[in-house]
Amino acid sequence: MNWAETLLSAWTAIRSNKLRSFLTMLGILIGVSAIITIVALGQGGQAAVIATIESPRLQNTIQILPKETLEPGLPQPDQVLSFSDQDFQLARQFPGVADVYYTLYGQATVASGGRVVNASLNAGPQYLNEIAHFTVVQGRMFTVSDVLAHRRVVLLSPSLAEKLFTGSSRIGQTVQIGGQPLQVIGLAEPAQLNLLGNFLGTDYVYMPATTCRDLFPWWSISEMDVQVKPGVDKVDLGNRIVTALNIRVHDSNAFEESTRFYAGLEQTIGQVTRIFTLVIGSIAGIALVVGGVGVMNIMLVSVTERTQEIGIRVSLGATKRAILLQFLTESVLITLIGGVLGVLLGVMGSFVMRAVVGLPTAVSGWAIAVSLVFSTLIGLICGIYPANKAARLNPIDALRYE
Amino acid sequence: MIELSGVTKRYRSGEEWLTVLDDVHLTVEAGEFVSIMGPSGSGKSTLMHILGCLDVPTSGSYRLFGRSIEQLSAQELAWVRNQEIGFVFQNFHLLPRMTAQKNVELPMMYAGVPRRERHRRALELLAQVGLADWAHHLPNALSGGQKQRVAIARALANRPALLLADEPTGALDSATGQEIIDLFLSLNVDGMTVVLITHDADVARRARRIVRIQDGRLVSGAGEEGRS
Ligand SMILES: Nc1ncnc2c1ncn2[C@@H]1O[C@H](COP(=O)(O)OP(=O)(O)OP(=O)(O)O)[C@@H](O)[C@H]1O
Ligand SMILES: [Mg+2]
Repeated sequence: MNWAETLLSAWTAIRSNKLRSFLTMLGILIGVSAIITIVALGQGGQAAVIATIESPRLQNTIQILPKETLEPGLPQPDQVLSFSDQDFQLARQFPGVADVYYTLYGQATVASGGRVVNASLNAGPQYLNEIAHFTVVQGRMFTVSDVLAHRRVVLLSPSLAEKLFTGSSRIGQTVQIGGQPLQVIGLAEPAQLNLLGNFLGTDYVYMPATTCRDLFPWWSISEMDVQVKPGVDKVDLGNRIVTALNIRVHDSNAFEESTRFYAGLEQTIGQVTRIFTLVIGSIAGIALVVGGVGVMNIMLVSVTERTQEIGIRVSLGATKRAILLQFLTESVLITLIGGVLGVLLGVMGSFVMRAVVGLPTAVSGWAIAVSLVFSTLIGLICGIYPANKAARLNPIDALRYE
Repeated sequence: MIELSGVTKRYRSGEEWLTVLDDVHLTVEAGEFVSIMGPSGSGKSTLMHILGCLDVPTSGSYRLFGRSIEQLSAQELAWVRNQEIGFVFQNFHLLPRMTAQKNVELPMMYAGVPRRERHRRALELLAQVGLADWAHHLPNALSGGQKQRVAIARALANRPALLLADEPTGALDSATGQEIIDLFLSLNVDGMTVVLITHDADVARRARRIVRIQDGRLVSGAGEEGRS
C-alpha cells in the first residue's frame, strides 16, 4: 500500500464515524485554539503598550530629555530642568538637523458661551498631527506661520466641539482657553491608536506650541525632539547634541538621549507579557495534553472495537508495519485535522477579540507552527501504543474477539 | 506440500485443558483436492486455521512448501498468508465498511498490485462467482450466500497455490454450491491445491480424497491410504 492509499483509507475510516472522530478532535481543537488566541492576546498587548510609549515620536527623531525624567520613579516637577530657547537654537545649528521641535501636553479648560469643558491639550509644530495622531476632518491645520507668529488658533476634536457649540457652524468660532480667546480653525479627529487610547477620552484641543507657551508660560518644556535629515547617523548626532547641551548648561549630566530609557522599558514590558503568556499558555497546554489523552483513549477503544477487522487484514496478508501505519495515519490525521481546525478557530477568535471586544491581538506564526507540530506528536504518541497492540495480535485471536 | 506431524491444539477452559486437536498427522501433496468431514465441534476449523498459518499448534510441527512454519519471521508469514494461501472463513469475515469489490481488492492491496489492475481483477473474480452486479454493495446488503461468494473471490485474488475453504458451500443452495465446486475443480485442474471442509456428502464425494475427523483425531484419509 502506498502513501496515498494509506491516507485515503484513514480518511475513509475517520469519515465513517464522523461524530466520534469529531469528539476526538475536540480536545485538540480547543487546546490549540486557546493557545493561539492567548499568545495573540499577549503579543498584541505587548505591541500595543510599546506602541503607546513610542507613538509621540516620529521616525528619524532624536528625543532628548532631562536626566531626572529617565530615572526610576516619578520626577519632582520643580527639579526637572526645562529646555530654554537657547537650547533649541543650539540644537538647530548642528548640520544634519532637519528641525527641532517640542510638544506640550496637559489638561486645560475650554470655555464658550458659558459652557466649560475639560479637555486634553496637545501643542506642537505644524506637523503635530503626525506626532499626536489626528486627522483634520474639517477646516485646516495650523501652519508654520501660525507657529512662528504665535497665532491664537486651535483645532478641536468633534466630540469637544459638540459639547461647546449648539449651532452647526464651528469653524471661525471663538473659545476661551487660559483666559484668552482663540479662533477655531478646524476639527481634528484623534486616531484610535490602540487599547490604551480608549481610556484617555475623546475631548482634545490642538494648537501651535508657541501659542501654548504664551497661554501657559509655567508649563515646562521637558522634552526636545530633533528631526534628522535622511541618511544622518541618529545615534552619533544625538550624542553630539547632548554633549553640547550638557556643557552649555554647566552640568555634565543634565540631559540624555532617550533610547536607553525606552529600550529598558520595552524589555520590562516584554518580560511581563512573556510571563503572562507563559502562565496562561501552560494552562492551555494542559488542555492540549488532556485532549491528547482523550485521543489515546478513543484510539484504544477504536482498536479494540476493530480487533476483528485487524484479524481479517492480517489473515489476508497485512504486515505488522501495514497495520501500524494504518492506525498511526488515522490518529495523526485526526489530531492534525483537530490542530488545523484549532488554528483556524484561534485565528478567528483573535479577530473577534479585536473587532468586537477591542482587545489588541497579534497572531503569532510561531504559536501556529508549535501547535501543529505538537498536535501531530500527540497523534503519533497516542496512536503508537494501540496500533502496536493491534498489530501484535495473533490473527485468529483477533478474529475470535467479540 | 502440507506436512502436519503430531499436531496438538489445547485450549484452557477454567482449570481444565480442552484438547481440540490430538496428535494429528496429515500430508497433502501439491495438486490434491481434499475434503475434510466431521461432526460439529470435532476441530475442523481449528485444523484449517493452523493450515492457514492463522493459528499455531500447542505442540507438533507444520511444514508448508517444505518450510517449517515455526521458523518463519512475522514478515515471511504475512507474505505466505498473502501470496500462497487463499482462505475462505466459515463465517466469511468480510470488512463491513468496504464494498464487495474493495473486499476482494484487499489482498491485492497488501501485495502492492497497481490500482487499475486491482479493479480489473476484482471485477473479473466477482463475475466468476456470479456477483458482477453486486460489486459496489456493502456486505450488509448481501445475502449469506452472496457474502460467501465474495469471500471466495477474495481468497482467489492473489492466485494462491493453496486454497483453504471452511464450508464454502454451507450458505449456498445446491445449484450455486455445485457451481462453486465446479470452479474449485477447474482451478484444481490448473494446479491449485484445494482443501475444503464440508458437511455435504455430495460435495465431499467430488473430491479425490476425504479426511474424516472425530474429537480432534483423524480417523481416516490422513495419509496415503485415504487417496482414491
Ligand atoms: N479459542 C478457543 N477457546 C476455547 N475453545 C475453543 C477455542 N476455539 C475452538 N474451541 C473449541 O474447539 C472445539 C472445536 O472447534 P472447531 O471450531 O474447530 O469445530 P468445527 O469442527 O469447525 O465445528 P463446526 O462444524 O461446528 O464448525 C470446539 O469445542 C470449540 O469450543
Ligand atoms: Mg468450523
